[in-house]
Amino acid sequence: MTHRPMMSRRSLLAAGGATLGLAGFGLGTGRALAQTQVALQLSWLHSAQFAGSYIAQDRGFWAEGGLEVALLQGGPNAPVEPPVVAGTALIGISAADYTAAAVEQGAPFRILGVAMQKNPFVIASLPDTPVTTPAELVGKKIGMALANTPVLQALCTLNGVDINAIEIVPTQYSPQPLLTGEVDCLLCWETDLPVAMTIEGLSPVTMLMADHGYAVHSQTYIATTDSLANRRAELVALMRGEVRGWEAYRENTDAAAELTLRMFPDAGLSLETQRLQAARQVPLMFSDLTDANGFGWWTDETVAANIETLALLGRKVTPDLWDRSILDEVHGA
Amino acid sequence: MTPGPMTPGMTAAQPRPATGSRRAGLAGLGVIVLGWEALGHLLGGTFLLAPPSAVVGYLVENHALMGRALAATLTNALAGFVLGNLAAIALAALALIWPAAQRVVTGVALVIFCLPLVATGPILRVLMGPGDGPQIVLAALAVYYTTLIPLLVGLRAAPSSWFDLVRSYGRGRLAALVHVRMRAALPYLFAGLQIAAPAAILGAMVGEFTGAERGIGVLTVRAMRGLDVEMTWAIATLATGVAVMAYLGIGLLARRVLTDAPPMILAPPAEPRGRSAGLAAALLGAVSVLAVVVLLWGGGLALFGVNPFFAKGPEDVLAALFWQPDAAQTRATLGEALVETGVLLIPGYLAGLIAGAGLAIAFTLLPRLAITAMPLAIALRSVPIVTTAPLIVLMLGRGAVGTVALVAVMVFFPTLVACLHGLRQTPGQVTDVFDSYAAGPLQRLVRLQIPAMLPAFFAAARMAVPAAVLAVTVVEWLATGIGIGTLMALSASVSDHDMLWSAVALVAALSALGYAAVGAVEARVLHIYAPEQSR
Repeated sequence: MTHRPMMSRRSLLAAGGATLGLAGFGLGTGRALAQTQVALQLSWLHSAQFAGSYIAQDRGFWAEGGLEVALLQGGPNAPVEPPVVAGTALIGISAADYTAAAVEQGAPFRILGVAMQKNPFVIASLPDTPVTTPAELVGKKIGMALANTPVLQALCTLNGVDINAIEIVPTQYSPQPLLTGEVDCLLCWETDLPVAMTIEGLSPVTMLMADHGYAVHSQTYIATTDSLANRRAELVALMRGEVRGWEAYRENTDAAAELTLRMFPDAGLSLETQRLQAARQVPLMFSDLTDANGFGWWTDETVAANIETLALLGRKVTPDLWDRSILDEVHGA
Repeated sequence: MTPGPMTPGMTAAQPRPATGSRRAGLAGLGVIVLGWEALGHLLGGTFLLAPPSAVVGYLVENHALMGRALAATLTNALAGFVLGNLAAIALAALALIWPAAQRVVTGVALVIFCLPLVATGPILRVLMGPGDGPQIVLAALAVYYTTLIPLLVGLRAAPSSWFDLVRSYGRGRLAALVHVRMRAALPYLFAGLQIAAPAAILGAMVGEFTGAERGIGVLTVRAMRGLDVEMTWAIATLATGVAVMAYLGIGLLARRVLTDAPPMILAPPAEPRGRSAGLAAALLGAVSVLAVVVLLWGGGLALFGVNPFFAKGPEDVLAALFWQPDAAQTRATLGEALVETGVLLIPGYLAGLIAGAGLAIAFTLLPRLAITAMPLAIALRSVPIVTTAPLIVLMLGRGAVGTVALVAVMVFFPTLVACLHGLRQTPGQVTDVFDSYAAGPLQRLVRLQIPAMLPAFFAAARMAVPAAVLAVTVVEWLATGIGIGTLMALSASVSDHDMLWSAVALVAALSALGYAAVGAVEARVLHIYAPEQSR
């Protein structure tokens, strides 16, 4: 808990920045200050999933660092890694498995920070036939995108479960097959379909795969080696804003959800859903490790665990995929 | 690949409904809405279907959000509609000025039209960066071909005596273009525009999936993920309503503008051409098209300086498919996905053709049925497939039925409209002959009306090939998670761009070949039943 005093100092700063930020927000470009324009490529549609970034934007954390950051929305068919390679975005929000795949194809990426310490994949089920351990998957029907078969395979291998004893039903983007009894459980994100089901008045049971050995860093910050060599100041300023934004997020997730709706009125979000999602992702993003070392941190041990799980997914990576020099500067400051 | 006789009457020949029939049409619509309401309540709690009352409630409550989203989508759709149709007009003009180029122009245009939206979306996003670019381009890509082909036919659809008249006044080709060709082409242009309107909306929505800030496509994703059935159906209803209005609006405009009856065109029989000469010309055409496509593809990437991590040129695709160490694996993966897709695509395509032609015949025999069913048919075709694909698959199951049904729906409507027009083209004099021999309606249908319908049927069947491919890839990607549609989406997400571009190239090539194959069947059939058409 060495981090606490610093947090309160940051909150003070934040309060000061808020007025500054509000003045700037909405005007967008064309301000007198010589701000460097950079872009952050998000991995999905705007939602509380990225609310820490919204706070950084709203309270002017980036503006203080001389940056004007454009937040590029993702989507079901949106490229995430290519804009970073192309230089459209300075930093992208990826995940260790997607980053590893891109590196295999020749993308010169490094992971600068890890927003989701625990991978958000869960097995979601209904209370009548709950799945609380990997062993309970045996004999069950699981609904999932076929593309995620390697993920289930890795979970099974890690826990000594025979994947052939599980019936995979291909589904996409919807919790509906679980609710109509077509499947017994779903492979999905903790912060996605289970939140939707809860809002609809159901009480889904979720088993976090990260609690059963599935170690894949998610919502990772990636940048190219070229940017690391030549645009360090911008990278540091962007990541510093992120760290401050997410620390503020943790203090009040409800406010973060409200900000999300205020900034993106056209996203069709409901406050109730966003509040629940915002609260649910806190345990995935913050841990003893981040309390001790700061937001986005990782250790040699967590990287080793990642490399092991990634190998099960068919991705070979080395520890130097993770580059801590930017976080060192941010947290050292 | 003869540029077939398209069907100007898709717009112009639809008779203005009489008051009585309009009432019947409204009654039909009422029955549909009531059935939907009942089904919605029956399926309550299954998160499948929201009844119309709930949809209206949602729309009223969220009119501001829906209005902004719709405005964003429609702005892009309109921009794409205008650009796409202007491109079509420009290409048609090029083909007219330089007739030798027509085969290459239409061939290249076809290949570009056959590019699968699922894969071109992210490619465009990388090329164009943030903003509205991909939405507009995808909308334009979705419309330009369905305008170009009828327009090419229309620019020649004038009696030769009219051209003689222009020449007799000592005027040249420009005067012929202004006074004869452009006027003759108008009905064909409107036919294309009418089909283009719903297509542009669909293109803009798919474009939004690549990371747009706002629009009804963005909201569709949100609604599906969030289990928000009311929102999903509200968006589907809204999008369908707008697409139907655009369709009907252009039809109305066409009826205002096109007051003259179409001229009777008597074509002399085509000079019999040697079989080998025809084959040689076709081969030469195909090779030229291939050369231009490869040049545009490779040259375009070089010109824009796209990063090679993402952008793969023709040589990269060839290497991925044939020379790289894992080429066999790549081919096997692609082959497997294509087979998975094909077994659903082909039955759906054929079912759509049969349903379209069958219904057109039924409408001719039972005109009252047409009045009730036509609004439903238009609505079915106008529903943006991205909103309904997941819903229909949820209802009909993830097995073959759901996918086959969706493909059939995409194919069915253009076929129906074209066949209806074809059936009406039956020459009156020949009908009189049949009447004087007291031929029954069935005999008249089999011996007279169906042969008269064939050219329009085949024109629709050709155009339906890319539409069916679009439908099947979207369903696979959004709902079933199998086949080439999913392979493309998946390859993009794991940065396997060699696979992505290979899949795009293969799908486009196969679609274009499918189109050509239908054209070949068409040529043989028309040679027997409508020799004046098989020029």
